[in-house]
Amino acid sequence: MFNGMCAVLYRELTIYRKRALKQILSSSLSPLLFLIAFGWGFGSGVTVGGLSYISFLIPGLITMNSLNQSFAISAEINISRFYFHTFDEYLIAPVSLVGIAVGEASFGVFRGLLATMIIFIYAFLFNVPLSFNPLFILAILLHTFIFSFLAVTTSMIVKDHSGQALVNNFVITPMIFLCGTFYPIDKLPHAFKLLVYAFPLTYSTKVIRAALTGGQVSFIYVGLMVFYCIIFFLTSLWALRSVEA
Amino acid sequence: MDNLINNILTVAGLRKNYKGKTAVDGVSFSFSPGEFVGLLGPNGAGKTTTIKMLTGLIKPSSGMIYYYGIDFYEKSQKTKALIGVVPQQNNLDRDLTAYENLYLHAIAYGIPKALRREKIDELLDFSGLTGYRNRPVKQFSGGTMRRLVILRALLHDPKILFLDEPTVGLDPQIRRVIWDFIVKINKMKNTTILLTTHYIEEAERLCKRVLIINNGLIIVDGDPEQLKDGMGRFVLEVYKDDKVDEEFFDSRQEALAALENSTFTAKVRGVTLEDVFLRLTGRRINV
Repeated sequence: MFNGMCAVLYRELTIYRKRALKQILSSSLSPLLFLIAFGWGFGSGVTVGGLSYISFLIPGLITMNSLNQSFAISAEINISRFYFHTFDEYLIAPVSLVGIAVGEASFGVFRGLLATMIIFIYAFLFNVPLSFNPLFILAILLHTFIFSFLAVTTSMIVKDHSGQALVNNFVITPMIFLCGTFYPIDKLPHAFKLLVYAFPLTYSTKVIRAALTGGQVSFIYVGLMVFYCIIFFLTSLWALRSVEA
Repeated sequence: MDNLINNILTVAGLRKNYKGKTAVDGVSFSFSPGEFVGLLGPNGAGKTTTIKMLTGLIKPSSGMIYYYGIDFYEKSQKTKALIGVVPQQNNLDRDLTAYENLYLHAIAYGIPKALRREKIDELLDFSGLTGYRNRPVKQFSGGTMRRLVILRALLHDPKILFLDEPTVGLDPQIRRVIWDFIVKINKMKNTTILLTTHYIEEAERLCKRVLIINNGLIIVDGDPEQLKDGMGRFVLEVYKDDKVDEEFFDSRQEALAALENSTFTAKVRGVTLEDVFLRLTGRRINV
């Protein structure tokens, strides 16, 4: 297992090192715009559940930005599968599929954590107090692993780049806008709520927000995050097993 | 059973169907260690599909693959370590340097950390690519990339090397460099080689044994020289109107005598594997 995981991580991190500045800059801009538009522009003076809107928004931006960065590995794996065929090297090598899945997902987690750090810097600059605690660390790790394993699964299932774009547009973007990242979901109509509770982002946003703002953390939601993590780990293995070059 | 264990590769009834279409139609063959074999056939004959099945990139619809008697699909990690693969595309990481590409391969194949640098530098020297060691691959020419892909496939000392159309798209001069390199690998490292090609000259020059594949079936398996001998060594091509008639002769003298007697435009040339293919299938390999 370790050879595969180490090989994947060596490749991803060596390439990331060469592109780090560009990647960090590009993952810094959109949350900043959200923060300015919704935090200052629209949300000043608004409170949500006893929190100032910006304090409510920051944890949402953490889940959004880390999800985007963790899931972004999906498109990159696709480029290496369909365009450069570098992914074939892993499939030919005597490595386990678990190693490939865990290696890719760990890189997704690494990117998600970097994206999280960026929001922490913004929180500091915007003077938003956050409670950094072990529960948050557990939650952000689960959150980034969930979407990294989902990314690996997606990248193996889709047949081409347009399939990848379809998943981004019909799964990831709606999730980001519906799952309580920017507003409390109890304001949504009942039918939407049912949909929203099927998405894992709903639970990770609730847990991460509660952990960071000193709210009550539901351990059922943490359990559901563990459940999603295991499910997407298994789907990534299934997808890797069925992939053909 | 002894043969199964001694043969580096044994393939039995290998078949691949794609959506009702048969790409490979039950091929069987076996290789002894150190053999240099060509899989020759026109585009679409099933060469790449065969290589992909033998290297684990696609799953056969049916059939068996054994490396030294070990079932490839039962113990794929163990058997994959015996295989080196040079795919048709140069699938190097273009953002990585030559060294980094090789280092990545070394990790994946479990080469101990202490040996990685030494093995990489030794191979770069073997192939004359030391000067490219720390340059990003995206700066390389097609021929240099090709050599690096071959080099990468050798890093873990495979017992058998699969090369899928190794010289396609390269200019003739570079093609010769690649040929020399592959022959050197076969001779110096005693690595068994299976090379697919649709270039007649490549198969004739390099391979001691040729499997000719057409429509997913292996139609001939033999020594290229003996296959050509079976046809006669010389051909008289007679140009009549729009078509070319071919007559085969065992000696140059007989062919030249026939040329003397011909009233049409005609020429004498040596027999090639293309003639063997043409006789068996009624069509040419390279149309």
